[in-house]
Amino acid sequence: MTEGELDFDPEELAMLRQLFRTEAQDALDVVTARVLAAGSTRPSSDALTEMMRVTHTLKGAAGTVGLPAIVDLSHRLESAFAALGRDAIPWTPATADELVEITDGIRAYFDVAGEPAADALAARILDQIDQIARPDRRPESQPPPFVEPPPEPVLDPVAEGLAVPEPKAWLRVEPQRIDGLMSSAGELLFDRTRIERRVQLLRTLSRDLARTRQTLHDALGDTGVPSRSTLVATEADLAGQAALLAQTTAALLDEIEALRNTIGELQRGLTQIRMESARSLMTHAARTLRALRRATGVRVELRTIGEDTEFDKAVAEQLVDPITQLLRNAVAHGIEPPEERVGRGKPVTGTVTIRARQDGNLLVLELSDDGRGIDTAALRGRLVTTGQWSAARAQLADDAEILDALLGTGLSVRGDADELAGRGIGLGLVRQTVAKLGGEVEVSSTPGRGTTFSLRLPLSTALAHAMLFKVGGQVYAIPNVHVVDTTLVDAGATTKIVRHELLPVLRLELLLGHGLGSDRRPGVVVSFAGKSLVCTVDKIVGPREIIIKPLGPLLAPLTLYAGATISGSGKVQLILDPAQLVRRAHPDAPTTSLADPGSAPMVLAGRALVVDDSRAIREAMTSMLGREGWIVDVAEDGARALQMTRQLRYDLIVTDLEMPEVDGFDLIARLRKDERFQTTPIIIITSRANPEHRRRARELGVRALVAKPITRRKLLEALATKQ
Amino acid sequence: MAELRNVIVFTIGGVRYAVELRWVREVVSLGFVTGVPTAPSALGGVCNLHGAILPVLDVAVLLGGPPGPPARQGDGALVLETEEGLICALRVDQVDHVASLHESDGALIDASGRPLRLLDPTSLVRHALELVGSAGATITEPLA
Repeated sequence: MTEGELDFDPEELAMLRQLFRTEAQDALDVVTARVLAAGSTRPSSDALTEMMRVTHTLKGAAGTVGLPAIVDLSHRLESAFAALGRDAIPWTPATADELVEITDGIRAYFDVAGEPAADALAARILDQIDQIARPDRRPESQPPPFVEPPPEPVLDPVAEGLAVPEPKAWLRVEPQRIDGLMSSAGELLFDRTRIERRVQLLRTLSRDLARTRQTLHDALGDTGVPSRSTLVATEADLAGQAALLAQTTAALLDEIEALRNTIGELQRGLTQIRMESARSLMTHAARTLRALRRATGVRVELRTIGEDTEFDKAVAEQLVDPITQLLRNAVAHGIEPPEERVGRGKPVTGTVTIRARQDGNLLVLELSDDGRGIDTAALRGRLVTTGQWSAARAQLADDAEILDALLGTGLSVRGDADELAGRGIGLGLVRQTVAKLGGEVEVSSTPGRGTTFSLRLPLSTALAHAMLFKVGGQVYAIPNVHVVDTTLVDAGATTKIVRHELLPVLRLELLLGHGLGSDRRPGVVVSFAGKSLVCTVDKIVGPREIIIKPLGPLLAPLTLYAGATISGSGKVQLILDPAQLVRRAHPDAPTTSLADPGSAPMVLAGRALVVDDSRAIREAMTSMLGREGWIVDVAEDGARALQMTRQLRYDLIVTDLEMPEVDGFDLIARLRKDERFQTTPIIIITSRANPEHRRRARELGVRALVAKPITRRKLLEALATKQ
Repeated sequence: MAELRNVIVFTIGGVRYAVELRWVREVVSLGFVTGVPTAPSALGGVCNLHGAILPVLDVAVLLGGPPGPPARQGDGALVLETEEGLICALRVDQVDHVASLHESDGALIDASGRPLRLLDPTSLVRHALELVGSAGATITEPLA
């Protein structure tokens, strides 16, 4: 199969292959782990079944992303597992070692896929599999001599791409930070001791007061007037006790103040434990750039500024992918060849600069190159020729808007080996990742001088800074990173000029159901993905530090809200999603969906659920169905799909057959029992369709059974099938 | 065959209902109720419950009737947990008592022989999810 037969453009295919690769690693890890656990005795039937299942999944996904060699290898491996499972071939002491070599070989194959060495490697792995599966094999037979070890997998960020390991739930903390916390904790104990001593004193004092009162009481109880001497003595006692009380109270207040400070220190210390300097991110960038330099031969150096800037470790980990992507972009598209650089009077070696700094409560990370810059005229033309923008829109748009289109997820600039090709999807992912962290990306470029990407992010993910305002008597919040300014809007105005820019006005009071305000009122200037607007509000409360809480599954479908926070007095305050506000004011703004926006408004086909244990297949289906106008949800197995179908109605279900726990037929049978899904079109995607499967599918009213690999044509045919 | 159910009996808008005790997490007095614009009327608002966001549902709407009185701070509410583990609150006028009652055909008869309607939180919440889901879907379409 060649790439031409696939239904993805090159960038999309590259992304899917990256996904597939991560997934394949996981599958191979499962096999290796099971094999190693078994050692010289045959693994349990369950273990073999699991190994068959993961290899089977691998086979299906490999076909869809156009890697026929992997389809072949995993098919043979699956057959070998099946044969081992029914004891058709014996498990010898050498089998485990051989299987580990085979999985290592398949891992190595990914590093050379597409290169001339790949075919030879695939052939060798096939031989190894055949060795295991040879029926005449005797248990005492020796493992085949190994010709040459598989190539060491080279860590290559270009090929690895976005397949960086998931962020770990670990915190590495410098010892002195723990020491600081320990000393605060010690201080806390000290504070407690001092306060306890004061309380002890107060208790003694209250006993003394009781005694004094008793003396007075006894004196009054006697007949006649108490003697002056008694009164004088009592008064003296009281005076002493009052003085002591005043003194103790004052001391106690001081100690409480000290306690408050210690608690503050503890809180700061704990927040700092989550903080990390930009150094490790910069080191990672340096390593990535070195690898890129080796791979491409581009002469480029990295300069880093602001390594000591501190921010949340969780943020730092999530930034690894975007930074890698931006570095690739700079090396592949930014830095000119040496002769061109010399011609422009630039140093032969290009420079990529990463600068980190703190701006108020935000982390600002700038990645700039001193390369050729982005040709906005060419990009403008390409947006029009690819039909993504109308000519009028492209003409009206200024350079900043054109550059921003690069970050739109849907933008994939097609064409032959073009300097702009390949920028689309990767940069879209950068924006998505940064937006997930509550941040923003901006791009600026000077032709001939270079390009700068600026990432603005909150320093910490748990705490967010937000602008609070009132509408209709309720307080709402918008994350501060998206609030550019505040202004005043005249009654009835539909646009407002802010900083020389004409912005649309969104009447929040109307959107939130409180009727149009008739007065001149405050406006919050909101910006997201390069689009800005002014939202009118009743009153601006001001910036606050908030803790973002999820709204929960019941409220999740209300996309207007990004979450909620709880005020000091315990009231729930809703957080508005800036992306949604911007979409309301700019209906043509790029959506966060991977679907190609196209030029004509898309006809909404309905909501589809794709169930498959392969992420690559899920993404591929999402992309294909998205283009046909479907809103696509995905589930990784039948159990999750059942959970989702309980919460939402779907107009189309596309499911794999072989999945852990609840398999495809099981899922369909259960859905058919639910009255909401009795007639819903269901399409099965599978790489193993036998007559028995077809019979069961017919019984369950399945609309079509599509063999993997899935192509757009097959999918369209299945969708068009009438029952 | 009549089955014995352990239920909590309560009144909303003059109608008496019951919910099986196994679905009831707490009986609370609601904190400040924040309205959720664009949400369907079945969702009366959200509240802070031990630092989490608690949706407050209107039973009358979920059972197909007109909206009941709005949920306000200080109103009584049952905090329910569904089969799927979703937590939500039902605003109630009054919690009457806890009892073991016989069920037949979805109706319960209390000690004085009066019928009660037995509510199933799981199906109520599923219905609420559908309503919220369809409201969410219309809202996401960009305004022309």
